Amino acid sequence: MNRGVAEHSKGKRICKDIIRDKWLYFLLLPGVVFFLVFRYMPMVGLRIAFLDYNPFDPASSPFVGFDQFKKLFTSISFPKVFWNTLKISMLKSFVGFPVPIILALLLNEVSNLKFKKFTQTVLYLPHFISWVIMAGLIRSFANPTNGLINVLIEQLGGKSIDFLTSPSAFVPLLIITEVYKSMGWGTIIYFAAISGVDEQLYESASIDGANRWHKVLHITLPAIKPVIIIVFILNLGNILNAGFEQIFLLYSPLVYDVADVIDTFVYRMGIIGSDYSFSTAAGLFKSVVALVMIVGANKLAKRVGQEGIF
Amino acid sequence: MVFITKYQAKLIMKKTSKRNRIRQTTGGKIFSIINYTFFLLIAVIMIYPFWHVLMQSFSGVNETAAGGIFLWPKGFSLSTYKSVFMNTEIWKAYGVTIFVTVTGSFVGTLLTAMTAYPLSKNRLRGGKLIMFLILFTMLFSGGMIPNYMLLKNLKLLNNIFALIIPLLISAYNVIIMKSFFQSIPDSYEEAARIDGANDVKIFFRIIIPLSKATIATITLFSAVMYWNDFFSTVLYINKKELWSLQAYLRNMLTNTAEAMSAVGVNINLTPSINATTIKAASIIIATVPILIVYPFLQKYFVKGVMIGGVKG
Repeated sequence: MNRGVAEHSKGKRICKDIIRDKWLYFLLLPGVVFFLVFRYMPMVGLRIAFLDYNPFDPASSPFVGFDQFKKLFTSISFPKVFWNTLKISMLKSFVGFPVPIILALLLNEVSNLKFKKFTQTVLYLPHFISWVIMAGLIRSFANPTNGLINVLIEQLGGKSIDFLTSPSAFVPLLIITEVYKSMGWGTIIYFAAISGVDEQLYESASIDGANRWHKVLHITLPAIKPVIIIVFILNLGNILNAGFEQIFLLYSPLVYDVADVIDTFVYRMGIIGSDYSFSTAAGLFKSVVALVMIVGANKLAKRVGQEGIF
Repeated sequence: MVFITKYQAKLIMKKTSKRNRIRQTTGGKIFSIINYTFFLLIAVIMIYPFWHVLMQSFSGVNETAAGGIFLWPKGFSLSTYKSVFMNTEIWKAYGVTIFVTVTGSFVGTLLTAMTAYPLSKNRLRGGKLIMFLILFTMLFSGGMIPNYMLLKNLKLLNNIFALIIPLLISAYNVIIMKSFFQSIPDSYEEAARIDGANDVKIFFRIIIPLSKATIATITLFSAVMYWNDFFSTVLYINKKELWSLQAYLRNMLTNTAEAMSAVGVNINLTPSINATTIKAASIIIATVPILIVYPFLQKYFVKGVMIGGVKG
């Protein structure tokens, strides 16, 4: 009886709070509708991965369970695509992960303010340039006949390389250009962490006779360690993101063998080929792996005593 | 959530400069020289590609065909720009992109702020749940095909709003705005409430004017995102008159014949231009707007961009 009253009054309190905040809910409404329609409806749409979707009569699409996934993993192309994705994304991380850390530490040692600011300005710039433009630049520079890179290679006595069509040169090209575009922007997060270091630590270290290298090793690096871990977790969550726009804009059938990744595969199978269920299954597989990776990495970080991202 | 404020940024600069002036050993000096040289080299590597293309766009045909390093225009000529500017298609694409960028970044930022403000109030019933649902979209998404099917079902294919609506609000920006709103002292709200204002009025009259810097940051970032977006066009638009600038450029930059026909030239009749210079000029005219807003962008992202974890 008492409990009933308590629950009743709790319900009343909630109603009262909601009425009090009605204008806040009013402000929130468009955003909630947006997320429901444009973020959650596509998640509902993932169900076609379990159907044999018929675009002309969607209602009659039969339920096929995990058949699309079976088809995916027994196909000739998908295991290769999956491997390409992993390979490109891991190579990009392996090369690209330490670069911003090193740049931030080195730039932190630059004492001339104007020079430092100038360097930061030019380092951040490529982040704001679209991949379409970057791809245009890459095509122009890597052109086998008059591209600057090949002209230089030839002047040095080498043989011109067609980076965009050569399977052995294409993946290195992807990695280098990705690092080029993202390394500067990547330093920002480390600068933020370095700025949080107490100046007195450096001063007392100097008094104790520490040199620059000691200070980096024992003060700056430990200070940015949590950020390094966060970036690492985010990288793991992106393990199946090999860089869709970049590859999409640069690849061609000649390099499908090494550069076709899950996203490009989904695009060709789904949008071009209209094989909706099959391509959605590939996309769903990717989304699930990303979710598992990021949640797992976050748990791991917490287990070893670090702050995770959520 | 870590913010770099302008003040902090200045502090970083001061701190580091002071630190490095303390006792320079010989080893330290050598390191400094190498370090400066290294960053000078990096700066050249970052700038040169854009410089190269800029110079190419002002160069003559035979000179660009030969390739090599372009420190200055070789065989200066403005004919490429003349023919690119005469091309009506590129202006149409420019128009589409400007409309998409202005509408999208303005409406998107307004909606982001409207979503983030209620969620910044701890007293809001259900706020935590809604925040979780928004955060979850950063970890998991429907992906390309379900998004395409959704827009198809909404009859938005081949509609300019397909380039705008799906990108209006990002969970990331909601987090940035929310944590900024949380830093505004409650006393502002309380004072306005005593004067009889409701939450909508408080939001538009008090909160928004207090958040100009953060709103400017998000508007600028969202504008750059819309400006640079090409894939929405690839996915949702077939009609060429609705192509965005980036999609148009993509077509032109990957396809030499397309580049030539884009400016309506027959290579035999108009030998004063070629595909290389046309491509170079197109890259420049699509990049200039970004370069114009870049100083503002830089000012703001040092001032108010969220850095660090994505904690809600």
